[in-house]
Amino acid sequence: MGEIRNHEDNNVEEDNNNNNNHNQTLIHLQKKPKFASFITQSQIQQEFSHHLSGVARINNGSFGSCPASIIAAQKRYQLQFLQQPDDFFFNQLPTQILRSRTLIKTLINADDVSEVSIVDNATTAAAIVLQHVGWAFAEGRFRKGDTVVMLHCAFQAVKKSIEAYVTRAGGSVIVVHLPFPISSNEQIVNEFRLGLERGKMNGRKVRLAIIDHITSMPSVIIPVRELVSICREEGVNQVFVDAAHAVGSVPVDVKEIGADFYVSNLHKWFFCPPSVAVLYCRKSSLSSDLHHPVVSHEYGNGLAIESAWIGTRDYSSQLLVPEVIDFVNRFEGGIDGIMKRNHDAVIEMGSMLAKAWGTRMGSPPEMCPSMAMVGLPSCLEVLSDEDALNFRNHLRDEFSVEVPIHYQPLKESEVGPRDENGGFITGYARISHQVYNTVDDYIKFRDAVNKLLQDGFNCKRLLSKE
Amino acid sequence: MASNGTTTNTTTIDIRSEFAHHDPNVARINNGSFGSCPNSVIQAQQQYQLRFLEQPDHFYFNLLKPLNLRSRHSIKTLINANHVDEISIVDNATTAAAIVLQHIKWSFFDSKFNPGDTAVILHYAYGAVKKSVEAYVTRAGGKVIEVKMPFPVSCNDEIINAFRDALELAKSNNRKVRLAVIDHITSMPSVVIPVKELVKMCREEGVDRIFVDAAHAIGSIEVDVNDIGADFYTSNLHKWLFCPPSIAFLHCRNPELSNLHHPVVSHEYGNGIAIESSWIGTRDYSAQLVVPEALEFVNKFEGGLDGIRKWNHEKVMEMAEMLVKAWGTHLGSPPEMCSSMAMVGLPACLGIMSDSDTLKLRSRLRDCFKVEVPIYYRQPKDGEVNPVTGYARISHQIYNTVDDYYRFRDAICNLVDTGFTCKVFQD
Repeated sequence: MGEIRNHEDNNVEEDNNNNNNHNQTLIHLQKKPKFASFITQSQIQQEFSHHLSGVARINNGSFGSCPASIIAAQKRYQLQFLQQPDDFFFNQLPTQILRSRTLIKTLINADDVSEVSIVDNATTAAAIVLQHVGWAFAEGRFRKGDTVVMLHCAFQAVKKSIEAYVTRAGGSVIVVHLPFPISSNEQIVNEFRLGLERGKMNGRKVRLAIIDHITSMPSVIIPVRELVSICREEGVNQVFVDAAHAVGSVPVDVKEIGADFYVSNLHKWFFCPPSVAVLYCRKSSLSSDLHHPVVSHEYGNGLAIESAWIGTRDYSSQLLVPEVIDFVNRFEGGIDGIMKRNHDAVIEMGSMLAKAWGTRMGSPPEMCPSMAMVGLPSCLEVLSDEDALNFRNHLRDEFSVEVPIHYQPLKESEVGPRDENGGFITGYARISHQVYNTVDDYIKFRDAVNKLLQDGFNCKRLLSKE
Repeated sequence: MASNGTTTNTTTIDIRSEFAHHDPNVARINNGSFGSCPNSVIQAQQQYQLRFLEQPDHFYFNLLKPLNLRSRHSIKTLINANHVDEISIVDNATTAAAIVLQHIKWSFFDSKFNPGDTAVILHYAYGAVKKSVEAYVTRAGGKVIEVKMPFPVSCNDEIINAFRDALELAKSNNRKVRLAVIDHITSMPSVVIPVKELVKMCREEGVDRIFVDAAHAIGSIEVDVNDIGADFYTSNLHKWLFCPPSIAFLHCRNPELSNLHHPVVSHEYGNGIAIESSWIGTRDYSAQLVVPEALEFVNKFEGGLDGIRKWNHEKVMEMAEMLVKAWGTHLGSPPEMCSSMAMVGLPACLGIMSDSDTLKLRSRLRDCFKVEVPIYYRQPKDGEVNPVTGYARISHQIYNTVDDYYRFRDAICNLVDTGFTCKVFQD
């Protein structure tokens, strides 16, 4: 990931050597850090002191987190708008948005700032890309029945967006099922190739492939670079990478990944307040046809400019990228250091839990970002999506543990991963690690599950509550 | 009510402290563009923001939906809608327009509407709405007819006649009029439109769908959606109803039949436009949750919202008359066609000759005189002698004082006295 220095002079220096280093997670050579020493544990806890105490908050993936100093910076922008909104609109907002976009461009290694648009979230980005595809079907540039390929575990909003814009306009959808638990990238690549073949059957064209960089549930890192390559080989029109979780948890180099469209939320793992996402559109794919669905007077001025004004709203969360870069640079190794430590910690904690419960992880460490899927003991009997949701609520209400639960049906009956008791593992917890977490969070979770086991609990008990 | 230029008509609110965050050096007479929000409502909003940050999952699963419903109930009562399902909360009228117009687009694609079918909009429709019509209606094969409304305007009949003419044109050659977009209060130039009559006319003429863009309405004029009778009606609550940026409602007379969808599709797709709009991905929804708190604020005033509306209207007309007298110009419309805003003619000698001039003059007023007011350019007709081509859209909200308008008066007088003209902007 491109290294960003702090922005004291409102300049962004790009480390020219860095483009070769993005695969490494070692600390880059830095100028003398702005601070004499790095942020301390106690300072970190202070930055996140607004988090509800007593809660083991191990679900950073869903809604992210934002340090107090960034929230304070956001309030300053909000106040500026309230003080004199016209001045803010005419004189401050466009400059600040451009500043954010310019810094993000370096962060993700895009070529040109015109390729970087800021939108609310990945859900909005999906609507932008899919609306564009929908027009092509409606206007006859794509033939009815041409296909869009997506992963089975694509985020639910994306699936619905495909239904709303593609299916409704006459496109067909091919769903690629990825095995889970999973042990290697090869499994993913194979399934994906098969999916593409199905998409091309009977003379159809695959118009768009939607590939997650990090799937949501169950969460694994997808070998996107390889899959994008395969798409190009197989003549897929365009590739959209839904990388909602990526920035701040895995290195992101959009040129290297080579997709036409790439979106990532910045409020999940990059410490921005809710909500802000970057939608990257490769220049060659930047058609004048890509539009924000909420049309303002900026319509026709390019997606980035359209997205920068979609009517009166609070845009403050989009303006804080410089402050966030300052924040991450208080940590040893900057964002790279944070990513590495989060990853190492979540694997360590995941292993600890799996050992304590006699279960297994859902994927090997190299396929985990700052989240990991940890098998739950089979006797808890997570046997449906409803069970998973009920169990999650139960953990929140009774144990103050916040962690999302995934139900994974067996592919075939009587075949699947087993826990130490010999039962099938059908439930997984998606634990996360962010800078504010401590070991106690995971111990609390471990003990909660152990207590439930002791009590002979299973998810059937939660159904009687209905 | 006090008549000495202060706005307090109640003893329970300290207006100065509620709006202490406004830049005290600015004569803020443009409430129409971005609205305003009292400190007590901002505090309430910040509480919700904090609740989300402290435990977002709990907020999402347990708090957000009931709070959204609570706001929608408040709005339903406020606008005299029949059922809370008819009320969706969205970011702003711009978003509401995209929702309605996307629906029109699909009707063209699904062949319910035919290429060449028409849509009628006002010539003075808001810029974003015009672009949205281009993006969704023209692009899908619809033909757009603009209503040529006069300005200055002297009575409702001028508008009604112009609208009738446009409908005739839209129906000519056997075309079907599929959509009418009618402003309740136009933005620039700002005039109150007789929407009830126009909606009735549209029904009589068989217009398929009627969409009222009432961005400015709630909090500045009476809103009764049942009485108005449109299919879709939208208004911003951050402009004149003291909500923080940003929140609007979209009222849909028949949500089940309308098949509206929010363009940002979430897992709620298919659950009705109100539910779809309540979750469009992770965002800060706090501005949408403080409608009850905003109404609490309003009800601290004598007469509540009615009282505030009347007060603002009276004061803006009083100030408008003061300005036209001082400058020797005229109003753009009679008082009964003004809301809490009025169009005040600027002296002709300022030489405003283009939209670009108005923007530059507006900046000059902001930078050199600390007056914030939007300016409208009216193209003169052939043969007009010494035409008034510029109008200022002044507004009055409860935080304004007479000094704001005196400062504006003196600024313009100063420009006139120093021989200023917009020609200097050509250099």
